Amino acid sequence: MDNQKLTQWSALREVELFLFREAELADQHLYKEWFALWTEELLYWVPCNSDEQAIGRKIALINDNRPELDERLFRLGTKFAHAQNPKSRLSRVIGNVVLQQWDADHGGCVTSRFNLTEVRAGRQLTFAGRQTHLLARQNGELRMREKHVYLANHDIPMPNLTFII
Amino acid sequence: MQQVENPLSAHAITHVNLQSLVQDGRVHSRAYTNQAIFDLEIDRIFHRSWIYVGHESEVPKPGDYQARPIGRTPVLMVRGKDNKVRVLVNRCRHRGAQVVETESGNTRMFRCWYHGWTYELTGALAEVTERGGYGPDFRTQNMGLVEVPRVASHRGFVFASIKAEGESLAEFLGGAAAQFDMLVDASPTGEIFLDAGTNKTEYMGNWKLVGMDGYHPNFVHASVVAGWARNSESGIGAMHREDPFSDEALTLTRYYGNGHAMLDFRAQRLKSYKKHAEFLSKVAGGVKYVEDMHKAYGKERAELLISLSGDPHLGVFPNLQLIGNQVRIITPITPGITQVTMSMVRLGGVSDEINTMRVRQHESFYGPAGSGSPDDAEIFERVQRGMMAEVNPWIEISRGMHREFVDTDGSVVGRITDEVPQRGQMKYWLHLMTQAA
Repeated sequence: MDNQKLTQWSALREVELFLFREAELADQHLYKEWFALWTEELLYWVPCNSDEQAIGRKIALINDNRPELDERLFRLGTKFAHAQNPKSRLSRVIGNVVLQQWDADHGGCVTSRFNLTEVRAGRQLTFAGRQTHLLARQNGELRMREKHVYLANHDIPMPNLTFII
Repeated sequence: MQQVENPLSAHAITHVNLQSLVQDGRVHSRAYTNQAIFDLEIDRIFHRSWIYVGHESEVPKPGDYQARPIGRTPVLMVRGKDNKVRVLVNRCRHRGAQVVETESGNTRMFRCWYHGWTYELTGALAEVTERGGYGPDFRTQNMGLVEVPRVASHRGFVFASIKAEGESLAEFLGGAAAQFDMLVDASPTGEIFLDAGTNKTEYMGNWKLVGMDGYHPNFVHASVVAGWARNSESGIGAMHREDPFSDEALTLTRYYGNGHAMLDFRAQRLKSYKKHAEFLSKVAGGVKYVEDMHKAYGKERAELLISLSGDPHLGVFPNLQLIGNQVRIITPITPGITQVTMSMVRLGGVSDEINTMRVRQHESFYGPAGSGSPDDAEIFERVQRGMMAEVNPWIEISRGMHREFVDTDGSVVGRITDEVPQRGQMKYWLHLMTQAA
């Protein structure tokens, strides 16, 4: 195997391990640790109705910048976030990870798919979709600059979506 | 083998036992949990009353259509080549297949793909394939998609009634009609467009639970209220000033009759007009918006409209709510399953930045991942589970009975935490449920 291929594979592996870690923190509702994965400027965007909705022109399920995401996590951390009390039991699998554009020093864009099982209030539900991460390398560590989640069910009547997707 | 009859199965429901379910200040939980009562609600409420189907801005061009249900009946709101908006039953006259499967779109005609029958935008049957198979008595003019007999609109809101005769839409809306202006006239040009996306949600609870309740916010939305303590203008915090949900607030509950009720924020928000105008001045186009509103409506009305931010907080019985920056449709699926759609309102005649600000306000609180809607849905589900207990089956809705009064316009008024809307709606519910066909 040539060196170039080895470098590509190790870059992919590093990104995969980052996505796995992010997924695990989200599944465990470890908000503080998950929030620490983001860069200072951030966009957490989950559109509804269509994958191509214009941000800010049409409503999204989630459209958070840093203060808004901070507030979301603050709220979930209070004792009054009833839709997460008790919390959802979550288990997600990340797959089909592809580096769309990558630079070892600066990061880039990665797409993947996920399959998430939620158990809460006596019900078992499945959420699935595609996600795009814009990752940046800061002080040697990967951080999320943007995360876009394109849910398979974003245009049908949905139950509560109050955990980290 | 003899079947043991459910005492409340369809043919056992009588006026007497329906009447016993709704009493002064209390309602039997079976009104929310029983399948036979639910079936009767579909027949006697949803298939008779004026039902909100959609907004004219959802079908702006000839050939545009929007599929929606009226109770259990799938219908199409469609704009014809004559520019008229009709409501057609979405069911092929041949073997009953739903003709249109996409939720919205534009078409020149409708085709049922079971046997290829085609229909005009008016619903008229255009062509029957293999026409020779029908004899001389077959009249194509009698075989169009069924047009819902009564369709009327108020400020662009299209209502339809499956019942051929009855009161006019204006009579039905009564005093609630004027409150639509509080939303539509938030635009200086009096134009709104429902084209900025729709949240589609579902909860495991009865459709009547999503009413007008000014008592719950400080408890159901305690996590949001805690957030406002950190930033008072965050999300819809900018709409609510000085705890509108306190018993001491100027906020009121108001019942207009025919099931229509509102949380009346007008006086309470007008008190903070300066803060609303100042908040708008920080948004691009906000200063011009305030000026345009004054030009269009005069000082007094402009200040009220600006303070209210296009949020009459009105519930039009049984399936429409004008809340926040959205138009909401409530669709009953079963006694214990309800779907709620929330369509974002885009204001005409304002800057893109103002509309974006309103989109962001909506996103913060409403929809399946908002800070507010999921906690509402969660509580409705807890209510539905709790109501299965019929040891003492009564739901208590007496709050404020001793202090409600009739206003000069005939509406019944209570404080914001009072259960004026719940009592009004259930009284009207009983009226509709006990009306003969």
